[in-house]
Amino acid sequence: MNQVNQVNQVNPANPIAPGSVAELAAALQRANADGFTVGIGSNAARRADVALSLAQLTAPIDHYAGDLVATVAAGALLADVNTLLGRGNQWLPLDPPASERTTVGALVATNDSGPRRHRYGTPRDLIIGIEMVLADGRIAKAGGRVVKNVAGYDLARLMCGSFGSLAVITSATFKLSPVPAASRTVVVDIADARALGTLTQALAAAPLTPSTIELESPPYRLFVRFETTLLAADRQAAAVCEICTQDAALSASATIVADETEADVWRRYEARVWRASGTLLKVAVLPTDVSHLLECLERMSQAHGVEYRAGGRAALGVIYVRLTMNEDHHANLVADLRREASARGGSVVVHTRLGPHEDAGATAHIGATADGFHDIRWGDIGDALPLMRAVKARFDPKGTLNPGGGPGGL
Amino acid sequence: MAINRPIRQDDTVIGMNRAFLDALARAVAPESILTDPVDLLTYESDALVHLRATPGIVVLPATTAEVQAVVRLCHSEHVPFVARGHGTGLSGGALPVPDGVLIGLSRLNRVLDVDIPNLRVTIEPGVTNAEITRLVSPFGCYYAPDPSSQIVCSIGGNIAENSGGAHCLKYGFTVHHVLGVEVVLPNGELVHLGGRVLDTPGLDLLAAVVGSEGTLAIVTKATVRIMRRPEAIVTLLAGFGSIDEAGEAVSAIIASGIVPAAVEMMDRLTIEAAEAAVHPRFPDTSAVLIVELDGPRCEVDELFTTVEAICRSAGASTIETTRDEAERARIWKGRKAAFAAMGRVSPNYYVQDGVVPRTRLPEVLRRIRELEARSGLRIGNVFHAGDGNLHPLICYDESIPGQAAHAEAVASEILNYCIEAGGSITGEHGVGADKKASMPKMFTAGDLEAMHLLRCAFDPSGICNPGKVFPTPRLCGEVPGPYRQHPLERAGLAERF
Repeated sequence: MNQVNQVNQVNPANPIAPGSVAELAAALQRANADGFTVGIGSNAARRADVALSLAQLTAPIDHYAGDLVATVAAGALLADVNTLLGRGNQWLPLDPPASERTTVGALVATNDSGPRRHRYGTPRDLIIGIEMVLADGRIAKAGGRVVKNVAGYDLARLMCGSFGSLAVITSATFKLSPVPAASRTVVVDIADARALGTLTQALAAAPLTPSTIELESPPYRLFVRFETTLLAADRQAAAVCEICTQDAALSASATIVADETEADVWRRYEARVWRASGTLLKVAVLPTDVSHLLECLERMSQAHGVEYRAGGRAALGVIYVRLTMNEDHHANLVADLRREASARGGSVVVHTRLGPHEDAGATAHIGATADGFHDIRWGDIGDALPLMRAVKARFDPKGTLNPGGGPGGL
Repeated sequence: MAINRPIRQDDTVIGMNRAFLDALARAVAPESILTDPVDLLTYESDALVHLRATPGIVVLPATTAEVQAVVRLCHSEHVPFVARGHGTGLSGGALPVPDGVLIGLSRLNRVLDVDIPNLRVTIEPGVTNAEITRLVSPFGCYYAPDPSSQIVCSIGGNIAENSGGAHCLKYGFTVHHVLGVEVVLPNGELVHLGGRVLDTPGLDLLAAVVGSEGTLAIVTKATVRIMRRPEAIVTLLAGFGSIDEAGEAVSAIIASGIVPAAVEMMDRLTIEAAEAAVHPRFPDTSAVLIVELDGPRCEVDELFTTVEAICRSAGASTIETTRDEAERARIWKGRKAAFAAMGRVSPNYYVQDGVVPRTRLPEVLRRIRELEARSGLRIGNVFHAGDGNLHPLICYDESIPGQAAHAEAVASEILNYCIEAGGSITGEHGVGADKKASMPKMFTAGDLEAMHLLRCAFDPSGICNPGKVFPTPRLCGEVPGPYRQHPLERAGLAERF
């Protein structure tokens, strides 16, 4: 067991685990002055001199129930936060994989989300305030604790998805949602990618308010979830079944699940892509290009002898793909898939776990786990990369924070 | 507006050298340049008319390339510039820099793409907010952010201010509906942030630009998300004997787990004004509450019963509900006309924009009423009750010496109440030139320094809408050294896929 660094001395061999924002600020100031780089999470040791753990930044949640707002410390685990908020019948409506191991700080830093993004969005859509420590130890905040607020620059949203490259997030304030009274999920088995695309478009155009339109492949399947009053959930679920049977060409078969069965369906869905090993891709395309991308994936995986499992937001055009087997061919498949996605204005970001800390069967997803970020290949960042570098250079001129760990290798 | 003649040799444009003007004349079409003092008058202020400055010159580019050319020139000659949409801003965000360049974007008003299957529309910044909805309504769609000025305000201005509106309670602000922008940076470079596809890799600089009040870049193109019209919309108009009773109803609605599409409140003075101006037939009470629910019909009908019951038990004296589009339009016209209608009851008025946590509304409104009695100025209150965004309207008569300044002091005092309650100095109108002095009440010097880092990354020479947002002018200092590559990246390993 390593000895934890004291705040007044930074020893590259030991991690920093501050117990307060002030301690964190002092440690960062010291590291920055001494020219040590600081990485967040245990994996960060590979690319930084000193590893920083925020696990001890777990100040109690400030829950302003009447305002549907809560301020949460970076080290708090999402599942714990939602257990607590649930006592007031509210929640932070984010469901990234492994929420029991996802800290709020990592959630913001990676802007990770899950199937319910369809309705609630990502951390970026829900964050209303932030407190952070800059690379040189200065403490700064932006936003506030009211939902409607345009005073000053929106640094809170800028931090979402910055992967610890600009500042260390110490707490965040979010807009919350009421816990819905009832939930129903319609599981739709469907013949092929094209039919899946057609059905997704039909569902998106229907007067329904699902919280998910989640796809899975192979075999092709959609999970359409309704979380509202019991009556409205039942009726909308029935409406989905009707849409499925109306168009015989879809050859879709729909089943409504509730309660424990429903919970189990979602557990199994998450495990299939996220509780697995191998290369993880995040593919983003226009919603109307999803079926084409799925067809490409099917064809390419056969051509490269690679197995894949896909899951994602069918109506938003964000798909996660886990590649297994024949690892030498993953890079070729990614190159092919990237060509297809880029030709349509989309992107493919590749996540692999860092070697030494990898253990078989462990979760690796977009990075928002307690053990820190994973190694990411961003692909083409576009013409704003120099501007992003300028932002990094202003916030962190000495390159102290998570070197190379930010988007585009910032 | 008359198109101006080209610049003549004998034109004297104060503070600008001849070479700069000549270069400007070469960069854009002659009719794109205004120098006549009479033409410049139009651009002296935005809708916050008490802050005025005369720009040195007004340029009305018709293309992105022209915007770039103008900005490049400003950059090389170190001339400050201010971008302006349709001039409906309420915080002096488009207040010109004296002797600087004002870049009016109203001629960049083309619709570039309407993609219904993907629910995206790409437009230039001079397109109005309402025009987007007009374009897509034949397909059963609409653009959600709905500032009260939506029929005239530009989408570029909405992006600069992160505009909200009555319906942002459920659907969010401009930042939630803009997917990508093309911007001209203060050095004239063109970059793309976000895009038509979600999750463009990279820092979320789009989120930073939205709401930056024109101080980081000029938006020349935007892709926005549109939404399907809900199956059912029900609007309730309830009269209450007091603001407190109406406030209780709002708390109970939120506590019941319902998220209405909008919750708006008006007090007696603003009801009277709206009645005089647009005759919305509001009840003759001390407060009206407008609650709108939307969604699938079965859900709306069920929840609406709850909302109605809550209003009754909170003491509503009248309740009118409607599902009819024309009736809804009448109610919303009364609400949205509230600012302009104050002209019917007062020669002048000052519109304040502050936010308090919703639960603190009763207490803050009580303090405003005490202030009203103390100040001798009538204060009307119209607000987005669902999210605690207040718009006190302070009535005054500028023909009475000192009263305008008194009204401004009263408006500023209300902001103190908002901050003391844990709120914000602006919910949707922006800081601009108007409230920059109030920023230190809300943010520490350290907070403002962090924000300034972002400004310096975009605009190290400080020429892009200077004098806004930040309380004191600051220089950016040295541009930091070259970007330091990660060893893996340097070794060519970080992009091996």
